[in-house]
Amino acid sequence: MPGDPIRRELARLRRPALAAAVIGLAACAAGFFLDRQLLLRSYLLAFLFWTGLSLGSLGLLMVQHLSGGRWGFAIQRPLEAAAKVLPLCALLFLPILLGQAEIYEWAHEDVVAGDPVLELRVGRYLNTPFFVARAVLYFLVWCGLALLLAGKSRARDEGAASAVKWLKGVSGPGLVLLGLSITFASIDWSMSTEPHWFSTMYGLHYMAGYGLSALLLMVLVMARLRHWEPASRVAQPPLFHDLGTLSFALTMVWAYFSFSQYLIVWSGNLPEETPWYARRAQGGWEALAAALLLLHFVVPFFLLLSRRLKRSAVVLARVALCLLALRVLDLYWVLAPAFHPAGPSPHWLDLATLLGLGGLWLLVFYRNLGAAPLLAREDPRAAQLESQAHPA
Amino acid sequence: MTTYRPIHGLMAEFDDPDALLAAARAARDAGYRRMEAYTPQPVHGLTEALGRRPTRLPWIVLGGGLAGAVAGFGLQYWINVVAYPLNIGGRPLNSWPAFIPPTFETTVLFSAGTAVVAMLALNKLPMPYHPVFNVKEFERASTDRFFLCIEAGDPLFHHKHTRTFLLGLEPLRVQEVKS
Amino acid sequence: MTETREAAPVVAPGHDYASATAAISDVVLRRKPPRAWFVTFGLGFLGVLVLFYTMGVLVLKGVGIWGVNIPVGWGFDIINFVWWIGIGHAGTLISAILLLLRQEWRTSINRFAEAMTLFAVACAAMFPIFHLGRPWVFYWMLPYPSSTGMWPQFRSPLIWDVFAVSTYFTVSLLFWYVGLVPDLATMRDRVKNKLAKVLYGIGALGWRGAASHWERYETAYLLLAGLSTPLVVSVHSVVSLDFAVAQLPGWHSTMFPPYFVAGAIYSGFAMVLTLLIPLRKLYGMGDFITMRHMDNMAKVMLATGLIVAYGYGLEAFTAWYSPSDFEQTLQRTRMHGPYAPFYWSLILCNVLVPQLLWFRRFRSRLAVLWVISLVVNVGMWLERFVIVVTSLHRDFLPSSWGMYTPTIFDISFLLGTIGLFLACLFLFIRVLPMISIFEVRTLVSPNKERGKGT
Repeated sequence: MPGDPIRRELARLRRPALAAAVIGLAACAAGFFLDRQLLLRSYLLAFLFWTGLSLGSLGLLMVQHLSGGRWGFAIQRPLEAAAKVLPLCALLFLPILLGQAEIYEWAHEDVVAGDPVLELRVGRYLNTPFFVARAVLYFLVWCGLALLLAGKSRARDEGAASAVKWLKGVSGPGLVLLGLSITFASIDWSMSTEPHWFSTMYGLHYMAGYGLSALLLMVLVMARLRHWEPASRVAQPPLFHDLGTLSFALTMVWAYFSFSQYLIVWSGNLPEETPWYARRAQGGWEALAAALLLLHFVVPFFLLLSRRLKRSAVVLARVALCLLALRVLDLYWVLAPAFHPAGPSPHWLDLATLLGLGGLWLLVFYRNLGAAPLLAREDPRAAQLESQAHPA
Repeated sequence: MTTYRPIHGLMAEFDDPDALLAAARAARDAGYRRMEAYTPQPVHGLTEALGRRPTRLPWIVLGGGLAGAVAGFGLQYWINVVAYPLNIGGRPLNSWPAFIPPTFETTVLFSAGTAVVAMLALNKLPMPYHPVFNVKEFERASTDRFFLCIEAGDPLFHHKHTRTFLLGLEPLRVQEVKS
Repeated sequence: MTETREAAPVVAPGHDYASATAAISDVVLRRKPPRAWFVTFGLGFLGVLVLFYTMGVLVLKGVGIWGVNIPVGWGFDIINFVWWIGIGHAGTLISAILLLLRQEWRTSINRFAEAMTLFAVACAAMFPIFHLGRPWVFYWMLPYPSSTGMWPQFRSPLIWDVFAVSTYFTVSLLFWYVGLVPDLATMRDRVKNKLAKVLYGIGALGWRGAASHWERYETAYLLLAGLSTPLVVSVHSVVSLDFAVAQLPGWHSTMFPPYFVAGAIYSGFAMVLTLLIPLRKLYGMGDFITMRHMDNMAKVMLATGLIVAYGYGLEAFTAWYSPSDFEQTLQRTRMHGPYAPFYWSLILCNVLVPQLLWFRRFRSRLAVLWVISLVVNVGMWLERFVIVVTSLHRDFLPSSWGMYTPTIFDISFLLGTIGLFLACLFLFIRVLPMISIFEVRTLVSPNKERGKGT
């Protein structure tokens, strides 16, 4: 039975995920009684990180349907598995929906009253009914796309010829919808923690970060499964080279977006814009910013230039794990200063929410990964792979 | 042993990159070291077949790029902080965010310049005259012919034996390259 | 004009090294240029004369001959500058990014696209230099120890522009020339005319195709591609910063850099299609520039067009979501002000019409594709017009509002650069191989029939 060793490996992986989920969620339950506000604010970060892995995967999935390429073929199934966690993410959004008042200042009428900026924004956009309606719409779009794409891809395995065309045809409009929905979701859920501030780069910044996170996850998955059939057929140095190069590119795009936004705000020096950066340049936040600059840009820049490093699954996976941790740090730097302007004040609840949601997310991800053959059949690229495996 | 007038080497002509590749491997296995292959477009694996080490060009370019970055940022720092300090809109003299775009440009400029100059220098180009151009058929080396030239400077080179060896590789023809 | 696509090959079957080399180099060496070449080059040359005349008048009388005024101090010059630079970007994108992505289809169009980049950047550079008023002292912008004791002001994006554009031109030139060297050797070896042989020979630097040379050559070429990719992004980002670091509504927007880069690629691909569709027919290059190329370029245009549309949408949302009167007024002025027809034409050209590219039916009809590419060229010009003029003509103080009308010299300068661009491009086609011969050779089989010699 092909795929059996993979199943066994997935079963092995499920145990720590289950432990993380149980411990993390138990700690969250304790937090619920200790400090509900702190819990929800940490929860938001964890939610945005893990949902981002699904959203980034959904985006990469559609990109590879459109662009082709062997890297996309190799990670198609893991991407589908990650995207199919989105229904769970929808469920995990409920605490944020119910606890809006604990997270967002615009949800307090007394704060809004008398503040002309907030009055306008709450009147037009940031009010609970519209907020809820938008969230419902986002999740409908996301879950719909994820389930449809994964379903059609399975249908293609069964030989449905129309599915190949269909996957390409849906991915174009799907990417448009995904881009728009991530933009507005990032405004709703993240940017509105500081409702006076606005930046048109924000959505793009989130998209680049999410795409990068998903790609790093794929490096880890493929490195972990590389020894077993059928993953071993694709998880070869050229695949890791491609994934490493793409990670390099997305890291640079992330840095480009981050720096462009900063340079424009810095040069404009307008009182409605600079507070966002001013808050993040004091009380210890500036140290985090420096760490991000160094570890999320300079170091990976030089590391991922190396062809040797990119072709080694083990080393690349180590780099990917570190970068994934830095993705959390980047989110923390973007999000948390809104709640802790005086300086970073890490709390065990930050870790507990990350663990709890992560455990749940991974459990569903592993289940999805085991539910379908790891390599898509009937993909035009599958035949190409066969011919490369046996060179003349 | 008869003495010959000095020549540059012996050149075998092929019409197929794979034949050339095989010939290069055979020549190396036979012990020849001072030889060069000439092709109308890059042929992958040829430098390995000839036994050359991979080029160190990327490291030279990295050096050029770092020099460009230091020079670019240093120039701006020196101008705006030391040589000609001006208060522009209350910005600090060392306005590092504003210095990043020009620094990036000088980095790219220096790297690209280094890449081209170093590539030409390592290849010893421009070189208007080279003995291989004396072979009439060599003008097809830029269209559809592939050449392997074993140079007379090779310790194993022997006018007759080397010619026999080259003929054994089934080329289109073998010719002398006058120096 | 419909041809089949999808599995259309990158190079039509039946070519070998010799025939591909001959087919491409004969355009320059053997065949007489078609009549259309003389007509187009003649028109371009006429444009060059118009350009020289306009420059002469400008140098004699000053920039007052243009329609620029206060408040619209940046009129056609900056619009045309950004437009031309943007057009240039497709060339770098095709030659560098697609090389890194190992997209073989780039091979038949990269040389032409790179040449387009060079000439477009040259045209672009005319505008800021002549807008200086005293173009002969343009070198004052460079950092050099001068007798005035003054140095450039590096907090200004206009100085960043000097660095970005000059670096871009230099690196594009290097990239293009390095790509040409082996082909110049081919030309040297094939040309009959003595003088031409010497000239091609000088350009070829004595290239003889040695294996060790090829290895360093390919490494250098890849490195140049790797460097050009972030460079092209940086250049249009710096151009966008000319606007975005200011505080003017409609200019000060953090997403300007990527939004401008997407717009640049959009207009660049449109220009490549505008030029290649007729040229391919004129020179019978359909074997090398296939429907696959057309289809892929149409798709890139669609994708970048959607990013640009995302930018327009987000700008409208920002204004609606903004508490600032100025932001809201700006958006209203765009949509209902005196220049509203420009805004709506821009939406029509850049957002609505290109949606046809979703459908293969339209992508595979060259006539339709050609018209769409023209429409996008116009649309991207209008976009810069809207950004520059609507933001400037009504800023914060109603008492200093004003209108901008271009003069005949604005128009003649633009037409003149279009002429210069065409003239240079057609000269290039006449004297150099418009398709990279040695790279095409890597895509075809060695020899059709083996003519064994002695």
